[in-house]
Amino acid sequence: MVSAIIETSGLTRNYGDICALKPIDLIVPEGEWLSVMGHSGSGKSTLMNLVGGLDRPSNGSLRVGGEDLLALSEDGLARFRREFVGIIFQQHHLVPYLTAVENVMLAQYFHSVPDEAEARSALERVGLGHRLKNRPGELSGGEQQRVCIARAIINSPKLLLGDEPTGNLDHKSTVMVMELLKELRAEERFTVIMVTHNQEVAAWGDRTIYLDDGVLVREERMKS
Amino acid sequence: MHRRRWLLQLVLRALAHRKGRTVLLLAVLAMASSLATALGIVSYSMEKQVAGEVRKYGANLIIIPQSARLDVGSGGLNFGVITEPAYLQQREVEDTLARSGLKAERSFHLRGALHWKDADLMVDGVNFTDIRRLFPWWQLKGNWPATGETVVGSDLATRLKLKPGDTMELVGKAQTVRLRISGIVSSGGEEDGLLFLALPELQQALGLDGQLTLVRLMVTAGDESLKKRADALQLLLPSAKVNEVRQTARTSEGLLAKVKLLMFMVTAVVLVSAGSSVAGTMSTTVLERGKEIGLMKAMGGTRWEVMLIFCGEAAMLGFLGGLAGYLFGSAIAQFITRTVFSASAEFIPWFAGISLGVSLFLALLGSVGPMISVFKLDPVRSLRGE
Repeated sequence: MVSAIIETSGLTRNYGDICALKPIDLIVPEGEWLSVMGHSGSGKSTLMNLVGGLDRPSNGSLRVGGEDLLALSEDGLARFRREFVGIIFQQHHLVPYLTAVENVMLAQYFHSVPDEAEARSALERVGLGHRLKNRPGELSGGEQQRVCIARAIINSPKLLLGDEPTGNLDHKSTVMVMELLKELRAEERFTVIMVTHNQEVAAWGDRTIYLDDGVLVREERMKS
Repeated sequence: MHRRRWLLQLVLRALAHRKGRTVLLLAVLAMASSLATALGIVSYSMEKQVAGEVRKYGANLIIIPQSARLDVGSGGLNFGVITEPAYLQQREVEDTLARSGLKAERSFHLRGALHWKDADLMVDGVNFTDIRRLFPWWQLKGNWPATGETVVGSDLATRLKLKPGDTMELVGKAQTVRLRISGIVSSGGEEDGLLFLALPELQQALGLDGQLTLVRLMVTAGDESLKKRADALQLLLPSAKVNEVRQTARTSEGLLAKVKLLMFMVTAVVLVSAGSSVAGTMSTTVLERGKEIGLMKAMGGTRWEVMLIFCGEAAMLGFLGGLAGYLFGSAIAQFITRTVFSASAEFIPWFAGISLGVSLFLALLGSVGPMISVFKLDPVRSLRGE
């Protein structure tokens, strides 16, 4: 039996009087690709941020990779993120004054030691071997997202989080990025949690959960 | 790649990316540190210059004997004061100076009259080595005297038609001395009317062994004022009078103190303004880079690690600003000393340390507020652009 990488119980997140996430019990097995769907404000990103150690829950329990995230300090959470999590953002969030390879090396810097050869190799894996020295402003949206993917996987994370990673891409680029993620997942065997409100993108996963107003309303297992 | 090297590269890239703001901050830091450096160098050079000027004027403290005063009169009538000649004891003065710990150039004098032909000549018994050190501007035609020799003041030499190589037989109360004139000395002062011979020779000729009429001291005024030093010495020498040669010493000290105060005030104002400017610019930079900070934290950078990057940027700006400040400051100091004081400032390499220190201090102090913001910034909110 596959062990769970994420286990939540009564996981809640309030922002003042607003309850962004109502008690959620969720188990994600290791290696699963879980898509999280819902409308804007449904709590998708809140759930992802909690699971990725970017935010702290208001209530409930949260274990990721066997680590009780509620017990970690601020810096402990940062160390958890660098060791365990890779994040792909919708807005890419690349550092504008660094080249593609340097953006990847920045993640290495926070993890351990920057290694240019490794960073180049990661970019070559995502098909950007010819764009190593280009800055984000010189890359297309799809290329920027691939740099973001290379940066997310450079430290071999156990958990890859995608916050609407294809939200700003056209159909062709979306397919290209999703295929790339599928390939990398097959090679690296990381767990994927992908927030999206695109049904087509969600269909790339093994399972989809649906959130509405902070409540997990249903889940759907995809046919392989 | 080594982590420190990568950090340096990251810092340089970040600064190069914001050229305008970097140049502005560098200009502010360079201006502040160059002013501090320039004022420091000018102050330092002026202090040396004033000390040199004071040296030129010669002694700034004198010790003279307390005259024995006797009021002459009776009842309501007062006929004036009779003063007996009085002397300082050379041994006592030497011991007192040694005990006082006062660092000063000194010269011992015994002033008296020796008879030559039909006239009495005023003679000053001195140590010629001390004289040469204390009064370097005295001009000498001929040579400084050896044993059995004398030098004559230029006015006296003219009046008595004396020249180097002549011999004189001088009659004192106790002894007669026969001396050869080795040179004619000119100081532009009262010394031009005197005859000089070695102190022990005059003491013997006058029968005043171990006695002095005057001690001249040249104290380089430091933090403690000359007046305080004179008072301290007076307490140790109650049998003598310790006087300041006031004009020169006080004027130099006063002028220097005022110039220093002015420089300190101007520097303080500039440093405060520069610090505020750095703080404002750094705060704007941090606000603009909120997403970048959030990203770094999201990637696993601890609060300290992310803050280190921004501190590195501030330190790099401080370092470069300090270097530029030292170069500009040295040039400004040269300009000021040449145009205002008609002298050239010294090249003082260790002021580079002060310039760097000032610039780094300003850059880091101005960054304290922004750094606290970096430390506290929530990655989720900053990535959302809140």
